Amino acid sequence: MAVEQLGVPTVPIVTDAFRDVVKGVAAVKGMPNLRIVFVPHPVFAKSASECRGIFEGGDPVNKKRVLDELVAGLTAPLTDEEKKSGFIQRPLPRLIGPDTPENLEKLFKENGWTDYLPIVLPTEEKVAEMLKGTHRRPDEIVGTMQPSPPHEAWEYTVEKVAVNAVMAGAKPEHFPVILAIASTGATSLFTSTNSWARMVVVNGPIRNEIKMNGGIGAMGPFNEANAVIGRAWTLISKNLGNGGRPGINYMGTQGNPLNWNNVCIPEKEEGLPSGWKPYHVQLGYKPEESVVSIFAGIHFQQASAPMSPLKEGEYESPEHMAAVIRSWGSVGPYLNLHATVLLDPTHARDLSQRYRFDSKEKLIAWLRDNTFQTAWEYFMIYPSDLKKAKEGVEPFASWLKLPEGALVPVPKFRYLKKPEIPARLHEEPISVIVLGGETNPWYFAGDFYYVESASVDKWR
Amino acid sequence: MKKGITWWLATLLFLAGLFAAHGSLADQAKITVLNPLGQPPALKLIPMAPRLDTLDGKTIYIVDVGYPETKPFFDQMASLLSAAYPKTRWIVRSKISTYFEDDPDLWKEIKAKGNGMIIAIGH
Repeated sequence: MAVEQLGVPTVPIVTDAFRDVVKGVAAVKGMPNLRIVFVPHPVFAKSASECRGIFEGGDPVNKKRVLDELVAGLTAPLTDEEKKSGFIQRPLPRLIGPDTPENLEKLFKENGWTDYLPIVLPTEEKVAEMLKGTHRRPDEIVGTMQPSPPHEAWEYTVEKVAVNAVMAGAKPEHFPVILAIASTGATSLFTSTNSWARMVVVNGPIRNEIKMNGGIGAMGPFNEANAVIGRAWTLISKNLGNGGRPGINYMGTQGNPLNWNNVCIPEKEEGLPSGWKPYHVQLGYKPEESVVSIFAGIHFQQASAPMSPLKEGEYESPEHMAAVIRSWGSVGPYLNLHATVLLDPTHARDLSQRYRFDSKEKLIAWLRDNTFQTAWEYFMIYPSDLKKAKEGVEPFASWLKLPEGALVPVPKFRYLKKPEIPARLHEEPISVIVLGGETNPWYFAGDFYYVESASVDKWR
Repeated sequence: MKKGITWWLATLLFLAGLFAAHGSLADQAKITVLNPLGQPPALKLIPMAPRLDTLDGKTIYIVDVGYPETKPFFDQMASLLSAAYPKTRWIVRSKISTYFEDDPDLWKEIKAKGNGMIIAIGH
């Protein structure tokens, strides 16, 4: 559309799996009649003859020969609709009803405004009660949110966040945390054909004030505050963030089970070993500040710290952790350059006392420098080095001759200091959060990376 | 007889009263709630660019957004279009980086040197 606006006729070709997405985006970007040609999905890895067949065959949406449609898109005169300019306002009614609660619940569900679990209907009385949880005005703008950059961002007020907080079953004491999350503008339902997830970590006094659970079962369905705050973020992402409609603004091919609660957890600051700072303090906040930190990723896996049969009585804890992190590739804007570890306090104490990691930073530095990868994984991240390897430049050329599965002697988190990679990732590509009930030293590790933080105190 | 009619009338009146009360109760059971949706921005309609009267003598850019393993798709497109429209110059170019990234330098080139653009394709 940028090129159309320059006065040059354009024809985009899109696979038909994205029909609703691309038509929706074109409409909200101002060209509802953009001449899009559709081809059968997918086209990658197709042979030359298969591709020829696509162009000589039919557009599955517009039912025209693809090659003819491409030419017509560039040459057929514009219709009156295609020449239109101007603005179309889209005001929304503040109130819905009156109707019976049963009908309203059905309406909300059929409109895709819920997570398909029962909601608390957001009556004016309930929303007014929720608004007592903040000193902010109901009509104050909190932020904007979109499911991903091509989609339009919607704007929302404090009152709108309260509506969704009520629907999630939250109480006024939870509201400042929910507002802080909403203020980041970070959607929990990022849209990509990969099925993304989000995590929110809460630090500071608010955790205990609202009785969040950072102990036994912290990531499970065992605590009201953890549950409703995480759920509110999902509803906010759908209703305030223009998201969560499969095929239109959510394309995750299988979905992600973490989306139900968005791993809403408090760090168990009371379980930190001496010298280990709370996550928000690592970021520069004061310990007495209450903060939410947002992370993005795809998965977590649970792992243990096994005892080596070759070293009597010793756990291979850091080495095993490095192997766990090495075992999966991470996605995201900085491919394979980030990870998050959720440590039970017993495991954190063991790492601190037995292995002398007397700060999170020391553990992160050790993992950063001792997590290795195979040659193909390395060259996936550094394709320019693969080119050098094929030209015979060492040490890369030797790595091509390594047995399959052998690790190259370069840490996974070694990186070039590219401008687009934040400086923080150069030093701390791995985030460490302490969480758990101290019944077992098992831990979770995943490909999550830190996105941003927001103050809860500003929203009290 | 009179007593019978009176009894029936009383019964009818009583039943009518019951229905009225039920309707009133049903109305009272209706509630109003707040709309949970965020506010979409105003839509700004943008007129599309004028179309070409002919492809003959024109330069059309075919832009590849860089999705992996789609080279055969672009090769065949360029080949078929060139064969069908030999008086048109077809230029295949790759856009920078990922499909999320804008490429204003390429758009400027197309504006300066081209007459049209076909752009493809994710997946």
